[in-house]
Amino acid sequence: MKIDSEKCISCLECVDYCTMNCISEGDETVSIDQDECVECGVCLRANVCPVDAIYMPEDSKQYPRSIRAAFSDPGVEHPGLQQGGRGTEEMKTNDVTGRYRRGEYGMALEFGRPGTGTRIAEIEKVTKLLCSKNIHIEEANPVYSLLADPKAGKMKPEVLQEKVMSAILEFKIREDQLEEVVKTLIPVLKQVDTVVSWGLATRFAKDGTLPVRAKLKDLGIPVRPNAKINMGLGRPLIEE
Amino acid sequence: MSHSLHRYGTEKNLQNDYTMYARASRWVNREGCGPKLRKILGIFLSEKPVNFGSSQAGKSAKVGLNPQEYAATLDKAYGVACCFSSKDAIKSVLKKLKEADTGISIVVSGLIDEIVKIGKEIGLKPHTAFLSLGIHGKKSLLPEDKVLEITTMCGHGMIASKLTKMVMDKVKAGKMAPEQGADFLAQPCPCGIFNTDRCTDLLAEYKKTSQPSK
Repeated sequence: MKIDSEKCISCLECVDYCTMNCISEGDETVSIDQDECVECGVCLRANVCPVDAIYMPEDSKQYPRSIRAAFSDPGVEHPGLQQGGRGTEEMKTNDVTGRYRRGEYGMALEFGRPGTGTRIAEIEKVTKLLCSKNIHIEEANPVYSLLADPKAGKMKPEVLQEKVMSAILEFKIREDQLEEVVKTLIPVLKQVDTVVSWGLATRFAKDGTLPVRAKLKDLGIPVRPNAKINMGLGRPLIEE
Repeated sequence: MSHSLHRYGTEKNLQNDYTMYARASRWVNREGCGPKLRKILGIFLSEKPVNFGSSQAGKSAKVGLNPQEYAATLDKAYGVACCFSSKDAIKSVLKKLKEADTGISIVVSGLIDEIVKIGKEIGLKPHTAFLSLGIHGKKSLLPEDKVLEITTMCGHGMIASKLTKMVMDKVKAGKMAPEQGADFLAQPCPCGIFNTDRCTDLLAEYKKTSQPSK
């Protein structure tokens, strides 16, 4: 996003709406730090500018900068995925897709959430590590399209310094890999220059419990009391 | 979208926060799902949700999206989202959805043990859970917890910390009622899962606890 300096009257109405806190008042006008802006569009949609000075410039729509809006504005679809948002159907439709079976866990590391944003280079720190352990990155997730070398976990060089609101690194592991994966991830997550919200998808056991909660507790990983739960109402239902 | 996961808060202040999402699968039942989604929207609305909306519609009920307008977007959509502040409403909606048997996947976000209990009471067997394992990485970048409790109700990150702090300050100073503050903060979230009832409670609590002691 940019602010037309010819139109801007420095009323500062837009400043508080910026999700990246990168709108500031200069000597004569208000401007948006282009390196920090993730093109989420909140300032524009808020419709608070009395002189319509906020706009999305053409260069924001050109690759590689165009990935900013795709990973930041929920109204923008990812090219080729036919859906908006930042992830996949993950467990939302697991009752009809069987994407996660018993004995498997889905992992989702959302970089930049909540509210800090992330450079793609931060995600690469983890993709490289996972690939070195032969863990396959989810191909249906838009993050996969940023990889130059999916086997090595290397991102395309031109996207590394692009900043997005958040991006979800999705992958699947076997139940018996949980401890190893957790112990691999914890040190690298301490080194990233952003925050990461960590999610884990699991089938309910046949007795209706979630045994992974106790396993995670033993590994020193906190499990929040609130979660997303697929109620098993999809049809045809995949039981196993 | 995992946008209703990772809502920040305590077990106590999450008691009135439940979101529901009906989602058709691209690989199974997305083709021609519009009429089913409209039926589900009707069921959601019958139990008076706090808010509803979608990124396809581009706005939420708190910015004027009305049910007819929402329903009209559903032929080109693949999901319906809304939020509730009562467990009884969730229970009634799930009961009606079970009877309607649309075959569309239904996801409820909220306190795990409460949702499992409701499922048992009405004969539903929860299928899969998406657990939140907390925030990792450079946590020094985060705002204070009271701000996070509000901003994380929009999982796409559309509600700025600065905007939230501004509203909290106004509520604290008595320049804005908690209800007004909640409606104001709901504006940037188009998906309609920002729970204004919970936000009102959080702002009222903030005002109460931040008053200078006499």
